[in-house]
Amino acid sequence: MIEKFKEWYETRHAYARQWKERTGGKVVGTFCTYVPEEILAAANMLPVRILGSHEPQDVTEPHIFGMFCPFCRDALAQGLKGRFNYLDGVVLAHSCIHFRQTFNSWRIHLPVQFSYYIPMPNTVQTPHARLYHTVEVEKFKKAIEEYTGRPITEQDLDRGIEILNRNRRLLRKVYEYRKLDHPPLTGEEAMYMAVSSQFIDKEEHSKVLEAVLKELPERKLPRDAGIRLMAVGSENDDAEFFRMVEAVGGTVVIDEQCAGSRYFWNELVPNGNRMAAIADRYIDRPPCPVKDYPGHSRFQHVLNLAKDYRAQGAIIMQEKFCDPHEGDNPRLKKYLEDNGIPTLSLEFDSTNPLGPFRIRVEAFLETIRGEELF
Amino acid sequence: MVFVAGIDVGGKSTKVIILDDARKVRGQAVVKTRPDFPALAREALDIALKQAGLKASDLSYIATTGFGRYNVPFRDNQITEITCVARGAAFLFPKTHSVLDIGAQSTRAVRVAEDGKVRDFRTNDKCAAGAGGFVERAAKYLEVNIDDVGELSVQADKPQTISSVCAVLAESEIINHVSAGESVQNILRGVHNSLASRAMALMKRAGLEDEITFAGGVARQKGMVQALEQALKRKVNVSAEPEMIGALGAALLGLRRLEKIRHDGHEAATKEEPRVA
Repeated sequence: MIEKFKEWYETRHAYARQWKERTGGKVVGTFCTYVPEEILAAANMLPVRILGSHEPQDVTEPHIFGMFCPFCRDALAQGLKGRFNYLDGVVLAHSCIHFRQTFNSWRIHLPVQFSYYIPMPNTVQTPHARLYHTVEVEKFKKAIEEYTGRPITEQDLDRGIEILNRNRRLLRKVYEYRKLDHPPLTGEEAMYMAVSSQFIDKEEHSKVLEAVLKELPERKLPRDAGIRLMAVGSENDDAEFFRMVEAVGGTVVIDEQCAGSRYFWNELVPNGNRMAAIADRYIDRPPCPVKDYPGHSRFQHVLNLAKDYRAQGAIIMQEKFCDPHEGDNPRLKKYLEDNGIPTLSLEFDSTNPLGPFRIRVEAFLETIRGEELF
Repeated sequence: MVFVAGIDVGGKSTKVIILDDARKVRGQAVVKTRPDFPALAREALDIALKQAGLKASDLSYIATTGFGRYNVPFRDNQITEITCVARGAAFLFPKTHSVLDIGAQSTRAVRVAEDGKVRDFRTNDKCAAGAGGFVERAAKYLEVNIDDVGELSVQADKPQTISSVCAVLAESEIINHVSAGESVQNILRGVHNSLASRAMALMKRAGLEDEITFAGGVARQKGMVQALEQALKRKVNVSAEPEMIGALGAALLGLRRLEKIRHDGHEAATKEEPRVA
């Protein structure tokens, strides 16, 4: 059953088109992982995260600055190539300037019926952020209501919240299995699972997760787990890289990235005020480095994950020119190493030189496995 | 007596070292790397075996390294060049804590622990501007034999600046210097200085500690050693055959594996070591 996620990952656009035909519903492209999808689910919409394809492209000049990250370029390229031409709307909840450029360019060149910018504060650590964002979530809800011409009731919201929470809960349950000595799923499989939850109908995704959870206790992989690794980064869905790492003697047992655990880690906690609870969920989630100032709460979270999943080393996957991560990574690296987690830093583009990366990953594994060789 | 071999299938040349269990070199070989790695590795190994007066069946363990290390079917184990070069350098210079290895395609800076274990490392990204291939291209353009580059570079009186971070663009800088009438010596030293400054950046990122050992074929070029020592403001260790250090490290680690397997019992052998298991 777990193969379904890979299939979805590879046929995501066909899936979205079919979903639209089947349900007659609206599909909304979400930019970054801070869009309050509870509202979209409450309005029976399909949120589809805008992601790149890891292929060379030549269509984004001159729409994005040269020193902006390859991911924002790769993502825009997918739009310009018409791969997302089924979208009815696009939404960005503010994260970084680079991706905002993708969003703005998208709105100019790829007009859709509904486009909305949520000015989510980056300083989520200030108490004022909660009230501010609650109001913004409310405004977003109203905008959706105006667009669909249907009010979103409290029952709708509760349903939307439960759709999201159930999916988060199930993903966490599957992740629990990665703590085992012999994880019954690879990091590559977990990546397909987590990323596909960002563009597949959550209820359908959750059903497959439930089926997978039934299978996992009996599932045995015909491979040694080898060295247990953590992947730390941003939008890292480079499947080839994970496949390579897991072919040379490692297993990615946990990740801390927005293409993975950061997206689904915390559930929404109901508190009587639905708008405030939704706002809080996104303010309290494991932060993207862009929302982790001035206190670096993320570092402790990364270390906790590494310890809980018994990672023997961490691969810090730096998206080229991603300033928020680049600013954090020297300190994060030191923090992990001071706490006994060796690290390997690699810089990622949308396409990557797998050969040189492989040598570095293998040498990293050799340093962790030192005793065997020396 | 026990014999082991280390085979380093590098970007430009393939090196073999045969060691006995007293860790003495019994035979060695260098062959230009070409397609068909299994045949190439066999040919290089045969040369080294002949020199050692041994047959292939006398070898108890074969460890491979270098970018072609997976393509040697008769190996017992493969180990990355990063780990091997650290071990080889620490064996030749026991007090070494930093190793710089400049090969044809890649440059590696390794920080080494007392026992030759890798503590940290950095390698050049995507471009060969900091590696030996760049010197070769420069020599070719200047119509100088690669073996003479080191001597010529030492004779420079006014080294020219080669600033480009890209090996291909650096060539156009070299062309500019040639058209401006600069001497071959000064241009070559500029190439070495450029390499040395890129190597410095890499070593600083990996962590720079005394003593420093300079390995890889480029370490044979006198001007390069001089450029590096000037940049580092200290002497570096250079062995007589710096290009052999990776193969030596592979042989040493192979011997260590063999000793471990024989000491701990054959169950200590990994999947990759069926010959000794």
